[in-house]
Order: sequence, then C-alpha cells, then structure tokens
Amino acid sequence: MSGDEIEEVDEAEGRRSIGEILREQVVAAGRALIFPAVALAIALLVGVVVILITGNSVIEAYAALLRGGFGSRQALGRTISNATPLIFTGLAVAIPFRGGLFNIGGEGQLFIGAIAGVWIGLTMPGPGPLVAFVAIIVAGLAGWIWGAIPGLLKIWGAHEVITTIMLNFIGINLTFWLAKNPLSGEGAVPGTGFVPEGVRLTRLGGGLGAAHYGFVLGIVAAIVAYILIWRTTKGYELRTVGQAPGAARYAGMSVAANSFLAIALGGMFAGLGGGLESLGTFGKVSVPFISNLGFNGIGVALLGRNHPAGVVLGAIFFGGLAAGAQQMQFSTGVPLDLADVLLAIVLLFVTATKLVEYLLGRRARTFAAGTRLEKGLAG
Amino acid sequence: MLEMRGVTKAFGSTVANDSIDLELRKGEIHGLLGENGAGKSTLVKILYGLYKADEGEIYIDGEPAGITTPSDAVDRGIGMVHQHFMLVPTLSVAENVVLGAEPGQGPRLDIAAAERAVRDLSERYGLRVDPTANVGHLSVGVQQRVEVLKTLYRDARILVLDEPTAVLTPQETDELFTVLRGFVDEGLSIILITHKLGELLGVSDRITVIRDGKVVDTVVTSETDEAELARLMVGREVVLQVAKEDVEAGDVRMEASDLIVDGASGEAVSGVGLEIRSGEILGVAGVDGNGQVELAEALAGVRQPRSGRIELAGEDVTALDSAAMRARGLAYVPEDRGGKGLVGEFTLAENFVLKTYRRSMFSKIGWLLRNAIRAFARRRIDAFDVRPPNPQASAASLSGGNQQKVIVARELAGEPDVLIANQPTRGVDVGAIEFIHGQLLEQRERGAAILLISLELDEIRQLADRIAVMYDGRIVGEIDAADATDEQLGLWMAGRGGPDEDQPTGDDRVRS
Ligand SMILES: Nc1ncnc2c1ncn2[C@@H]1O[C@H](COP(=O)(O)OP(=O)(O)OP(=O)(O)O)[C@@H](O)[C@H]1O
Ligand SMILES: [Mg+2]
Repeated sequence: MSGDEIEEVDEAEGRRSIGEILREQVVAAGRALIFPAVALAIALLVGVVVILITGNSVIEAYAALLRGGFGSRQALGRTISNATPLIFTGLAVAIPFRGGLFNIGGEGQLFIGAIAGVWIGLTMPGPGPLVAFVAIIVAGLAGWIWGAIPGLLKIWGAHEVITTIMLNFIGINLTFWLAKNPLSGEGAVPGTGFVPEGVRLTRLGGGLGAAHYGFVLGIVAAIVAYILIWRTTKGYELRTVGQAPGAARYAGMSVAANSFLAIALGGMFAGLGGGLESLGTFGKVSVPFISNLGFNGIGVALLGRNHPAGVVLGAIFFGGLAAGAQQMQFSTGVPLDLADVLLAIVLLFVTATKLVEYLLGRRARTFAAGTRLEKGLAG
Repeated sequence: MLEMRGVTKAFGSTVANDSIDLELRKGEIHGLLGENGAGKSTLVKILYGLYKADEGEIYIDGEPAGITTPSDAVDRGIGMVHQHFMLVPTLSVAENVVLGAEPGQGPRLDIAAAERAVRDLSERYGLRVDPTANVGHLSVGVQQRVEVLKTLYRDARILVLDEPTAVLTPQETDELFTVLRGFVDEGLSIILITHKLGELLGVSDRITVIRDGKVVDTVVTSETDEAELARLMVGREVVLQVAKEDVEAGDVRMEASDLIVDGASGEAVSGVGLEIRSGEILGVAGVDGNGQVELAEALAGVRQPRSGRIELAGEDVTALDSAAMRARGLAYVPEDRGGKGLVGEFTLAENFVLKTYRRSMFSKIGWLLRNAIRAFARRRIDAFDVRPPNPQASAASLSGGNQQKVIVARELAGEPDVLIANQPTRGVDVGAIEFIHGQLLEQRERGAAILLISLELDEIRQLADRIAVMYDGRIVGEIDAADATDEQLGLWMAGRGGPDEDQPTGDDRVRS
C-alpha cells in the first residue's frame, strides 16, 4: 500500500577519500585539543606563582613533575595504574552526557561495582581466570543497576543530578557495611579479605609496577563506547535525544528509554572501573576505600570533551599529574597539593568556556561544543 | 547617517559578505533583500558588533564607528531586534526592557521608574504593552514589541530588524509597520530584513538587494515591483505564481474524525474532522495558535490525541507513533525546524535519516551504514540545491532557508502517500518558495494527499484545492478554493460567520 520506497543508493557514492577523512580528523582533533591545551598553559603559569611562593625552582619542580609522571617505567606504571579506573569513571560521565544527562553518581556506582566484584572473587569456586571474568561482569552489572535506578527515577520526573548524589551516599555506605559485615576478612585493615591470588588481574609487567591489564580493558571499553555512540543506531538515538529531544520525539524515538539507557550504561562503566580496581590494584575492598575516582571522572570527561578518546587522554593526564606530584614533593618539597591546584585550574578553564573563548577570540566558540555543562544540567 | 564600505566577511571558504557597500539615510526604512544564505544576517551582525568584519569600515555621521562589541553598537545608537528573542521569560516587561541599563543609583532597581519609562515609551510610539506583565506569558508579537522597546530605551537611532515578520500574523505585521513608520517620522532610521516582497514594497523607502554576499543593486521602492526584485535577488526570472494543473481528486487517503488533542496549556484541538484525498491539497488557514500545530502533530503521530480516530488508507492508525506513520507513507514537515525538524549539531547526512535510520538500506543489525547515508544525503542535497552542498556540514551552520530545504528534501524522499506540511515556506526566500511550491504541486500531481497549514493566506489560496479555516481548535468553515474570497476567509479566521452561526455575533472580545 505504501509508496514509501526510498530509491536505492550506491554506497560507493557516499564513500570518502582517505585524504578527506584524514583532514577532517586532524582538524577535529586540533579543535578538541586547543581548549585543554590553553587551559593547561594557564594552569602551569599559575603554578609558577605557587612554586615561587614555596621558595622552589620552577624548572626543577616542573621537571620533577614530568619525570614522576612519565620519566621512567615505574613512573609510567604509576600513571597507568592511576589512569585505569579514571578511564571508566570518565566514560561513566561522558556517555550519559551524550544522552543529555549529567551523571554525578560515578562514585557510588564504582563502589557498588568494587564490592560486587570482590564478593564474586571471594565466594565463587572454580579456576581463577573464570572467577575473575565472572567477577568483572558482575561488577559491570551491579554498576548498571546502580545507574538504572536514577534512570527510572528520571522517567518519573526526578532530576538525575539529585538522585545520583543521593545514590552515592547509599552506595558508599552500603559497600562499607558489606565489607565490614558479611564479607569482612581478617587483618589489621578493616574491610573484606583478599581475593585469591589467581583471581587478581595479571600485571602488565615490563617494569610497569602495579599497572595491570585493567588498563587494556579500559582502552577496549573506550573503543566500544565510541563504536556504540557513533556507529550504531542505538547510539544515534541516544545522541539525538541528548542534542534535541524535540527532534527525537518528532522522529518517533523514545526520550525516556534512551535517557534510561544512557545513564545505566554510564553506571555500568563506573561499576566495571570499580571491579577492576578492587580485583586488580587492591585485591580487596578496605574501609575506607579508594575515594574520589568517581568524582574525578567528571573532570576527566570534561577535559576529554565527553569523547571516548578524550577520556583516555584525560585519564592519563590526571593519572600522570598525580604520579608526578609525588615525585615533585619528594625531590623539591613543593607540596603534593600543587597537583590539585593545577588540576582545579585546568578544569576551571576547560569549563569556563566563555573565558577561553574570550582569550582565543570568538572563533573558538565552536571548539567549546561538547564541553558545555549547561546542556547536561538543563533537562 | 550610516555607511558601510567594503565590508567583507568569510567563514572558512564561504564568503558571506563580499565588499558590501550600504548607505542608510536619516529617516528612511531601508530594506535588505536576498536569497537564503546571501549574507543579510551576517551583515547586520557585523554592524551590531557580533561578528568582526575581515575588511571594510563603518561610518556613523561621517565618523568611523569603531564597533567591536554589541555594547559599542548600543553606545553608537544602534539597536537590534534578533530573529530569536533575547528576553528573560521570568521577568516582567519593564525589568526586561531596563535589564543591563537599570535606572536608579546603586544596586537597587527602581522598578517604578522603569515601569514609568516603559509606559512613556510605549505610549509615545504606540507600542501597546503592559509593563508589569510577565514576558513568558506574552504572545510572540507582543514579545517582539518588548524587544523594540528595549532598543528605544537605550536611545537607538538606528534600528535593525532581522526578519521580524516571520513570526507575526498579518495583523501584527501591519501594526508593527505602522509603528516603524512612526519611528522614521521621528527621525530614526531602520534596516529591515524580510523575505516577503510585498511587505518590503509597502513599507520601505529603498531596498538593497544582496546575492552571494555582493550588493546587486540599491533601488528606490516606489520605482520597482515584485518581479524586478525577485529577478535581482535570484539572478533570473522567478515565477511568483506557480501554475497549477487540474488534477482529479482520488480516494480518501487520510481521514480524521472527532479529534481532541491537548496542547501545552489545555485542549488545543476540540473535535476536528477532515479528509484528504489523493491528488488534492487541503489548505488550513488561520491565525497562529488556534490549534494548527497540535492538529498537525496528532495527524503525524508525534502527539497522541486524547480522543478521536485517525485513518490512513482505511487503516486505524490513531495509536501509532511518527516512525510507524512514516513507514506507512506519511511525511511531515514541522513548523519549527530548529527545535523539531533538525538536530543542529548533527551533520546533514545524519539529519537526512532522522526517521529512516532503521531501514535496511541505512543500517544493518543496529550498525549504521555511513557511506549509504552519506550517498543518500548527497543525492537529496543535489536534488534540492541545498547550499553548501556538503553532507558533512552541521545543520546549524546552514542559513534558515537551506535548513528548510533539508527538511523538505528529507520528507519528500520516497514519494509519500500523504504529506502534512506546516508552514513549509516560513523564512524562505522567493526562489526557494517557488521551488517548494513546485514540489508540493508535483507531489499532488503524482497523487499524494496533502495537508498544507499556513499562516499566509496567499500561499493557501495559491496552492489549495479546498480551504478549511481553524479557529479556537475547531474548523469553523470549509470552502472550495475556487469559491473562496478573502473577506469570507478573514471572517472565519477571526472566529465569526462560522457555519453554525447565521449571523456574525459581533463578539467584541474578538479583535480582528
Ligand atoms: N557562524 C557561521 N559559521 C559558518 N558559516 C556561516 C556562519 N554564519 C553564516 N554562515 C554562512 O554564511 C552565509 C550567509 O549566511 P547568513 O545567515 O548571513 O544568510 P542570510 O542572508 O541571513 O540567510 P537567511 O535568509 O536564510 O537567513 C551562509 O552560506 C551561511 O551558511
Ligand atoms: Mg538570516
């Protein structure tokens, strides 16, 4: 009955030359990097003042910072090990953001994932690799559920910023209770017992210290996220809902279902990050546990402009800065806090798009796309 | 009093303004005319300090104006009314008007003084508004008056209006033009951008025509006519009145009965029934806000009606969503291209498959076939002469008229059986209007059933076979296009002389 047959098209017509694609990618990458680069330059300048106030040599301090982050295999190992969970918590913010939601709940989702992973690691019988595999899956599922709750509440009208913050409290405290009660182990440090050695994630080796294969999984996760968001129909819907809910409705897409999916996926990534951290780096969940990874994920996502590739770079930057700051404190006596100051300034400028726009001229406006917070906060 | 000399502005490889000279005299209304994307908005944005020109100078009263920011422009007596209003909906009219230039000393806002000032201005220029009203509750026409008041409050002597009438009803347009004539009598000068040749001929003193970023000519309004202007704009003869073939109306393709549809603030459509036949255009006329949008959305499956029934070729489709309707051969051009029809930050290619991305030719098992999508976009772009012809361009970077072409090109792909078009030529230049009208008639000849909703009576009278008039959520009258008169339609549009009323009621509350 319907005459709605769109004429066939020849795919070859739509193919583009390698040169064209390459040029576009380079331009896009350049645009993406210019904002963080300017922000970093400003931060380093402010850092100069701080270092001078502490009475140290600027060159020495920054050299130590760089050395500590990337100067040796051990340094690189520390950076990678710091960056691993941040890739996941960064994705946990970036993907919901593409769907128009602001996920502040990475922290709680990460804790839930960590305890779920350890629970499997402690209780499931069987060969180590299999247990580790199941534990990671369960960690992701637990995070998914912790992200799905605000997704459901969103459909009923509760703003995700409020609900994810509340679920952070619940998730963190629930994790602590589980770690101290049903899953409690022996030892001086309160928390769960250690998972068996065979369940721990294999280290990368090569002199990289504590860095484990979770980092490789992080890269894989970023690639999967990229493909999901940009190459699949689901991702297309998710981005449409995030960019223009009116157009999504007009096209017959479900805004509710896609918002739900976006934040549940975010929760899954945070949960995976938590599971890898507990199974890989620590082998247990102690009380108090690693903290702030979820919140730092927000910074990583902002720095990476909510793009998976940017998230990986942002996580490495965050991780390197933290590792480098230790070295800097050790060899020059500049306090560790300088790293936090630098980070805060970088984030401030990356988010203060208007200000950088002003510095770079109006032309920079388009560069800011994707980092604007308002969009995520609006709906 | 204002002179722009050799103004040039390029965006990447697009030269939006190419050495433009423009002279604005004291006390004149100067029209700016040009195709979509000709560079009109760019030119006035440069004047207002929103863009920086690559080359060229601006003089006010013979002195270099030195405008680099909008506040410089305001200081030099330039006021601008943007196409998209810049008002704070939660503040009152008076608060909006004085925002950024508040009366009184120190941090305290002297609201009484503000209201007094607004009242004085609105009386002096005949711009009726209540200074205490909340801006969010005002109609578009009144909001526009607030924008104009804002510029007057800042002592503007040069007023720039970018497509102010695109959002107005004919009555509101007349009122606005009366006000503008009052301004020039007081010695103000006005730059007016509009795509409606008739309006420009009626109100302006001189008209500058821009094509591809260059000034083609500046003509004295009293010495020109529509045909000449259209030719200058487009660079060739334009058929202003498209020829309509006789087409025998066929079967009923779409039928709606007793539709009741809720809008944002209560019931918007109150019991509408209609049928559209193959090969005919049913025109729906009416003043904006009488339920047309909600009716169109209900028919297209975007909005679920509260009650009633919709049939497509005999099948009950009341409960279907817009993607399902599309799959059954229904195309829909919405009235709000920015908010509904397009995703601004997506590429044109992505926008071309907004409703059809699930088809097997565009995706396989959830995987987007990007080359196929791009190839399809490239074809539609060529067929509809969308500029720039680049499937990778973002929709937001296109001029308004080209955005509209993208939507029409997308919706008309694949020969739909039924087309619902709500204001398909809003904000579009004469060349593109000619093109879109031609497309609609072509679809009609092919046998499509078309519902054309428009605020422009001329458009409806030109294209429709039957004309229905909507007022207050109902169809108050329906007539064969051949028998329609402007008087009769006008009465219906004002809610009078409907079929249930033998006599006009003379209801005083209805202003016409
Ligand atoms: N910010 C921008 N970035 C890139 N290109 C732009 C930008 N603004 C305008 N352009 C391009 O410059 C040209 C002129 O656009 P402009 O908006 O001035 O046209 P216009 O005459 O106002 O058209 P319309 O009648 O459709 O509003 C167009 O080709 C448009 O795509
Ligand atoms: Mg314009």
